[in-house]
Amino acid sequence: MSKYNLRIPLWLRKVGLFLAVLGPGLITASADNDAPGIATYSMAGSTYGYQFLFLILIITFGEVIVQEMAARMGAYTGKGTADLIRERFGVKITTFAMICLLVANLGTTIAQFAGVAAAGELFGISKYITVPIAAIAMTYLVLRGSYKIVEKILLVLCMSAFAYVVVAFMIKPDWIEVTKAFVVPQFTEINSGFILSVLAVIGTTITPWGIFYMQASVADKGIEIEKYGLTRTEVVFGATWGNIISAFIIITTAGTLYVQGIRVESAGEAALALAPIGSAATFLFAVGLLGASLLAVSVLPLSTTYAICEAFGFERGLNRSPKDAPIFYSLFVIIVLISVSIVLLPKMPLFSIMLLSQSVNAILLPVLLVLVIKLANDLIIMNSYGNKRLNNIFAITLTVMISLVTVVLLITSFV
Amino acid sequence: MIYISQLLGQKIWDAYGHPLGRLEDILVSATEKNVPPITALLVTKEKDHKEKIFVSSEAISSLWPSITLNVDQAQVKLHELKGSELLLRDRVLDQQIVDTEGKRVVRVNDLQIARKGNRFFLTGVDVSGLGLLRRLGLEKPGKTISRMLNLPDKSHVIPWEYVASIEHDDPLRLSVSQSRIVRMEPADIASVLDDLDHHTTKALLQGFTDEALADTLEESSAEMQVAVLSQLQPERAADVLEAMDPDEAADLLADLPNQTTEQLLTLMDDEDAEEVRSLLGYPEDTAGGIMTTEYSYVPDDITVEEAIAFLRTSEDAEEDEIMYYVYILDKKEKLQGVVSLRDLVMSPPDRPISYWKDEDPIAVNPQTKQEEVAYIVAKYDLLAVPVIDPDTRQMLGIVTVDDALDTVLPTAWKKKLPRFF
Repeated sequence: MSKYNLRIPLWLRKVGLFLAVLGPGLITASADNDAPGIATYSMAGSTYGYQFLFLILIITFGEVIVQEMAARMGAYTGKGTADLIRERFGVKITTFAMICLLVANLGTTIAQFAGVAAAGELFGISKYITVPIAAIAMTYLVLRGSYKIVEKILLVLCMSAFAYVVVAFMIKPDWIEVTKAFVVPQFTEINSGFILSVLAVIGTTITPWGIFYMQASVADKGIEIEKYGLTRTEVVFGATWGNIISAFIIITTAGTLYVQGIRVESAGEAALALAPIGSAATFLFAVGLLGASLLAVSVLPLSTTYAICEAFGFERGLNRSPKDAPIFYSLFVIIVLISVSIVLLPKMPLFSIMLLSQSVNAILLPVLLVLVIKLANDLIIMNSYGNKRLNNIFAITLTVMISLVTVVLLITSFV
Repeated sequence: MIYISQLLGQKIWDAYGHPLGRLEDILVSATEKNVPPITALLVTKEKDHKEKIFVSSEAISSLWPSITLNVDQAQVKLHELKGSELLLRDRVLDQQIVDTEGKRVVRVNDLQIARKGNRFFLTGVDVSGLGLLRRLGLEKPGKTISRMLNLPDKSHVIPWEYVASIEHDDPLRLSVSQSRIVRMEPADIASVLDDLDHHTTKALLQGFTDEALADTLEESSAEMQVAVLSQLQPERAADVLEAMDPDEAADLLADLPNQTTEQLLTLMDDEDAEEVRSLLGYPEDTAGGIMTTEYSYVPDDITVEEAIAFLRTSEDAEEDEIMYYVYILDKKEKLQGVVSLRDLVMSPPDRPISYWKDEDPIAVNPQTKQEEVAYIVAKYDLLAVPVIDPDTRQMLGIVTVDDALDTVLPTAWKKKLPRFF
């Protein structure tokens, strides 16, 4: 081993060490920028220029707060979010919360398959071929529980999101203006289209499934609360990093498409943002979209199924046979089937579905946030690891803010 | 049958029909193992600023169709709390429990209460979908639909005596649950524990005896083994490792940091530690990694009668859990042949053991891949295959059929949510 190590140049080894330390957070972050995410940020940047950068800054705080709460609950209780909701709030509220989660996650799963379809169409392959193949292949891999290698390949594909960072520097935007946009809110027109976009950007960044997934992974790994500090660093880093990439997508699309008056309404137009990189732009965009969508498809239906079965005490887990855990498996298959069928409807506007699903996510988010905040403040559940005052101020402000935006949406669309 | 969901929130009337308050929770005695009696009702008073009181169960006249007391509200006897009691809504309803008969983890959807004479008892746990619908106030439509679809009546109430309700910070309930769970098969215990959260798992396992813990760990996933073992005091961990099969103990130790492995081996009994040490040297997916050093053998220069006497006194034979085969070794521990215990017992007592000598007995090397071992076991229909040193032909151990086939039929505990970090 040591003989080979010597041949690796020193600088490369340093990069390797850096990646090893930052690895986990980096990976979470990449999974964050899924297909509807890329679509939403591209749309926001191309339609409203730098305006959304201010929102990204706020959302970053919000995501850090929310994800940290979920991770802390997972570490201290060792249980999933759905477990805690059921044990603390009883059947009725649990049912309501699970319906919200199911609707939000179903929407997002549809959006992921729409991402697969859009990526396929960029390669000139019909969605009637790509989507069923993707659905069958991913279902097979997920249910067999053996997709470690596939997962790694998909993560590498997701790395193509870095292209946005490269392009952002290539097009040399006015960095002073960019910085200003982060700090000073400058909203020009407030109509229902704009508010729907605000919701979509919130809903694609702070997701209901993200909360459940984060808590489940921390609980599953059996991280002790004493060693929680490291996990928190990871969570904070991951959420921040994901949003840095999001910001670059907005900067790039604003600098390339907004200035030319191209408002992204399809994957083909979104891919144009990477044009400065050369002829490989479309390929790179499509590959990134595909990787991100498939990665999310491997997680979303399964974590939804787990949460619901956990809440209602249905038998669950891939080590059970379908005969022993009928609801677990049927729910999984139904989620995939519904998502695929909707995407395969003729003339389905793929990009609009992605945006809409994320707005729905944001509208349903406050329901779950209220429950999560209550849980994180519960003395019996969290003991001395409950929320601090600052956690609560941020989390409650976020919840109120999202609810207010939803109310404003209702007003603007009816007035 | 009365269910707790039908009682909670109901009005409570005294003997003269005056409302006292509403039912908040029900208290049972947790020390009575099989059918715990109700000891008190937690009532939120309508007057007195919604004060909460525990009404002694002696005052209950009926629970259904309405909750009535047999005394005037001014004379209601208050219950004095004991440490060994359990609030049903607060600590049991909606929690996860282990169904020790069905061998699975389920959620408490409702609790069944029965009357016997003047007393009320907690009899069972409803874990069915019907119980869920009842909680949602949809029991009737649910029943109608299931009748229309011709579904079987799925109400499923588990008797309380088969229920292990667990909370890791409740020592009393933990010990009752432990005694119930430990009656299950080790493989079932392992799969049930896999569905519980880490804290509960650890709390439960720490109360097991060394033997029971060792048996359960042998059936558990590598992750759980490490998680449980690292929670134990080093001395206790060493005791548990001694109680495990050496091959399983070696596999477990191989997953721990080197320093910990060394520390535990020093704490272990010398003989056991030596066996484990020799196994640790082999990769996990080879015959050496999955073999056990506990097998029965006899010398090659005796008769059948002497051989049986030899086995009775042999310590190694004593440790051999199954003993299908008896291996014939010469003075240098070289493998000379093999005889099944059946053939040995059924043979004339004066037959020499050398009768079964075989120039080339079926055997594998410690480096033989696990798949290859599985193939040999299947091909020759063996229950165990000996592992010998390729150079000296010394016998090192045996691989039993279950360990050999583990690769072909993997235990699937590890299939959980994918992880990104």
